[in-house]
Order: sequence, then C-alpha cells, then structure tokens
Amino acid sequence: MSSKMVYLQPIAVRIWHWLNALGIVTLCISGAQIRFPEYVTILGSYRSAIMLHNTAGIVVALSFSIWFFYYKIVANTLDDIYIPKGSDLTTGLFRQVVFYFFSYFFGAPNPHHATPENKFNPLQKSAYLAIMFVLMPFVSLTGILLMNMGPMREIVMLVGGLTLLDTIHFLTACSLCAFIFTHVYLATLGSTPMAYIKPMWTGWEKVENHHDAENSLVDRSQAEHSH
Amino acid sequence: MSRTYLNLKGGFAVKHGYRSLLTKQSIVMVLFSVSCIAAGDQARAADYSFGDGTGKNEACIACHGNQTKVISQNYIDPKKFGHTTHAKFGCTTCHDTITSDHPAVKPGARTTSCGDCHGDTVSQYSASIHAKNAPCSGCHNPHRVNSSREIAATEMNKQCAACHSNIKITASHAKWLPQTELHLGAIACVTCHSKAENYVISIYIAKRESTGPDTKPTLLTYEELLKYSNGDNLQYLIDKNRDNYISLDELRKFNRDPSNKNIYLKAMMTPVKPTHSFQTFDNRWDCTFCHGSGPEIMQTSFLSFPEQNGTFRQVAIEKGASMDALRAIPNFYLMGSTRNGVLNGIGLLIIAGGMVMPVGHGFLRFLTRKNRK
Repeated sequence: MSSKMVYLQPIAVRIWHWLNALGIVTLCISGAQIRFPEYVTILGSYRSAIMLHNTAGIVVALSFSIWFFYYKIVANTLDDIYIPKGSDLTTGLFRQVVFYFFSYFFGAPNPHHATPENKFNPLQKSAYLAIMFVLMPFVSLTGILLMNMGPMREIVMLVGGLTLLDTIHFLTACSLCAFIFTHVYLATLGSTPMAYIKPMWTGWEKVENHHDAENSLVDRSQAEHSH
Repeated sequence: MSRTYLNLKGGFAVKHGYRSLLTKQSIVMVLFSVSCIAAGDQARAADYSFGDGTGKNEACIACHGNQTKVISQNYIDPKKFGHTTHAKFGCTTCHDTITSDHPAVKPGARTTSCGDCHGDTVSQYSASIHAKNAPCSGCHNPHRVNSSREIAATEMNKQCAACHSNIKITASHAKWLPQTELHLGAIACVTCHSKAENYVISIYIAKRESTGPDTKPTLLTYEELLKYSNGDNLQYLIDKNRDNYISLDELRKFNRDPSNKNIYLKAMMTPVKPTHSFQTFDNRWDCTFCHGSGPEIMQTSFLSFPEQNGTFRQVAIEKGASMDALRAIPNFYLMGSTRNGVLNGIGLLIIAGGMVMPVGHGFLRFLTRKNRK
C-alpha cells in the first residue's frame, strides 16, 4: 500500500485547536464545580473555579473570534471547509453514516479522503457547522452576558432574564461536553488510533493513495452513483 | 452679620451678631419658648394619667405627635410608634422619670436601658466592635422600630450605609468578591455580617430605572403601588385569586403583564433572624456557604408588600419550589443553589449521548477488531 504525506493542518489551526481543547476541558471541569459545588471540589475554592472559568471563557471566546476571522477573512476557506455541499447532503452523509456504523466493523476504509481543501467528511462538516455556528456562539454570548450581569443588565432582561441565559449556557455547555467525548473517540478511528491525532500536532497526515481504497464496498457504491 | 429671629408665638426677638452665638443661644431660647407654648396651649400634664393603663400614650402623643408643638428631636410619628411593640408597654415604661409636672418640669435621666428587656441582644452586641462606635439608638429608633420581617432588605442596608459609605463598601468587597455590585444589590448586609444561619428570598416590587446599577434598587411605596392596584389591596396586584398565597403562575403573570413594564420583582437574600454579632464570620469568605448550600435551603420565599405605615408585610410564595419561584423572577439566580433538577437531568442525558460513540461503538469495534487486521 503506497502512501504520501499531506500538509493538512497549518500551524495557526493547530494552535487554535489545542488552545480550544484545553480551554473547553477547563471550562467543563470548572463549570461542573460552579454548578455542583458540594460534589465537585477539584479546583479548590469556589472563587478559584469562577476565576478559572471566566479566564478560560475569555480565552475560548477570543480564540473563536480569531478562528472565525482567520478562516473567513484571511484564508477565506470557511465556507468551503465547513458548509456541506449538495452532494454531501444527498449521498455523503448517508455514506459516512454507513461507514461509521456498518462497513467500518468489516474493515472497510474511510470513504472520505482528507485534503487541505476538503478536510472534513460530510458528517464532520454538519457536526462542526452546528458546533461552530450554533453552540459556540450561544455558549460564548450567554457566558459574556452572565459574566457582565451588572453593566449588561438591560440586554439580559431584554433576552429573557438571567435564568433563561443560564439555562441556555448550561445546555449548550453540556452539548459541547458531549461533543468532546464523541470527537476524541472518532479521532481514534484512523488506520491506527493515533493516525488522525498526530496530524493535529505535526500538521502532516499520511494519506493512502486513492487507488488502494477502490476495493471498498463504499467506494464501489460511490462509483455506481457517479455513473 | 446681624440677623433677627422672631418667635411669633413667644413674642420676643433674639438678636445676635455672630453665627456661633446664634446656634447655641437661639436654640436654647427656642426650646424654652416651645415648652412655654406647649404649657400654655395644652392642659397641664397633670390632667393625664401617666403610667396607669390605657390612654397613657395618648397623653404624650397629644404633644409629641404634633410637629407644631414640639421640636423635631422630640417629635414622635404616632403611626410608626403605634405599630411598635414598644408602644404596648407605654411611654413611661422607658421614660420612667417623667412626672406629672411635665412638661413644666423636664424629666431627669432615665434609669432604664434597652438591655432591661433586650439583655441577650445587648450582651451580644457589646461583644462586637460596633458597640464602641454606635449605641443601640445609632441604628434603632425605639419610637419606630419594626421587626426584621417588616422592613425591606434595602432599609436594613440603609442603616449600615449611614456610617459605611457605599463606595467604600463596594471597593472593599471588590477585593475578593466577584460580581461585587450584583452581590451587594441582592443581599442584605446582615445576611453575611451576622450569625444568622437560615435565609429566605424576599421579593420586593421595585422601580425599573434605566440608569445606574442595580446595587441600590428603589422600592415602590404604598402610595405609588396604589396607582397600580387602583386603590385595591396591594397584595391582589399579584395574588389574583385572593387566597393569601402567591403561586408561581401568579408571579409569572405579574412579570408578563405589559402594564407592569416600569416595575419589576427584585429578589434579595435576607436572614430569617439576624443577630447583633456584626462581624465577618470565617465561613462567609467561602462562596459555597451560599452557592453550595444546595437547592434545599432556598425553599422559602416571600413577597413583601409595603404597608401604609412604611412597614412591609410578607405573603408566602408557593413553597418547596423557590427555584421555580426565582425562575418566575427573571433577574435573580443563585449559582449552585437555584439549579433545577429537571435541567440537570437533561444536561446529563446530553452528556450521556456523547458517551454513546465511545462506549457503544467502541464495544463493537473491540468485538470486530480482527476484521481490520
């Protein structure tokens, strides 16, 4: 099986990814202590949990803004990379679901081949679209409002009050926490458990040549579709 | 600089060349003339039955309840005094040196003190650093005291603010307390600076003001609220079914009513029984004293309606669900303690959903590992 190395993840993306990862994990842990202080005491005092949560929140919100700015304005690849195309929605999603929940168990290779222009499989695109354009903005904006209740009181009351904000913040945070478990697990589904994780660290991914994958069930079905 | 002061009723003028003389001497003269007027206008005090049964307060109030008859320091607001427990004991219980010659004869120094009745409180207070700086009357006017349940938390805080400036208080708390202004606006000082162990959420009707922070909410007075109730009992503004009990639904309806757009429900945390040991207790530095107390301690909440005499009356809010009561009040939230069980369940389900892939898929992956060799 021949393979080549592809430079998949530019340095800016990698820094952003790991900063985000550290930030979100910190937010989940400190958030758990803030909500359940009598059960979670891992960060010491409640006050330190709040301080850490606020700091990590600002870092993640800023890195989100920079990420958006970088992809949308500097690289201008945001739409291409994150928004599913017509074929992604009609056949791609189904193909990827079949792979994850069926053909994977029989040893079929991943029907999606990551390239710098098309990094994500259709399922990833849809999931990341929801996360980066729904969950992240919601959790960040509610967090910013909760952090600045005093000066932003009027806005808070306008959007329905503190309790509603807190509810949205909590539920979106739980969704992001759920995403992390799924994300980390799916990252181990490469040819080896570290095959997808390494490129996020080094930038380079080992990609098998396309011809080697042609025997797979899924690629044949894709070929039939294209005919 | 020379001014002439004329006491119309007394009929004599006092002339002074200096302001310092003016303040000392003229006050003495005015006091003297006022007592002369009182003696002249009223029947002599001997006509009243001091210290024996009903009517004894009325004799005193006849003069002391009339601002035109006594100087402002000696004026007693009859409505406010009548409401106090002290009124039941009668003026002469404390003012024991009053004789039937009064007002012609000034009473000697009282032999009574607050500690005669409030012994425990006084000994507790004496042990605190406040005792050096303020006597009982520094905070409590015995002629208008109310029980802690009858005064709004904002009123309690005003007592403290008489000596402690708001700016300094905010600055000193900001050194360690996150969201300082929010905290100070939602908690009575004595909630932390007293040994009180149990708390309730007291809800007041406040003015919605577009300017300024929420640290000093302005509560609506009885008269102002009458306009909203069209003269009806204020309680029925919220307690629509008039059962002396405020349900969560009634709270929500009040919040949503567009005619209430200029007023809102302001929730504050108040102690059930504040004590007089005013100091900062070690456990109050720990945020979890409140935030970790769990939803159990937050089960009791009241709506406090202003009364005509300036006091407040508590009406119970649906019990056992103060979290939901607070949910019906969109601007109060106590992290850690007002969390909702249903919401926690939903959150847990979402996170469990995230575990489906690692656990479920991972298990099948393990079983089928040979297929991928």
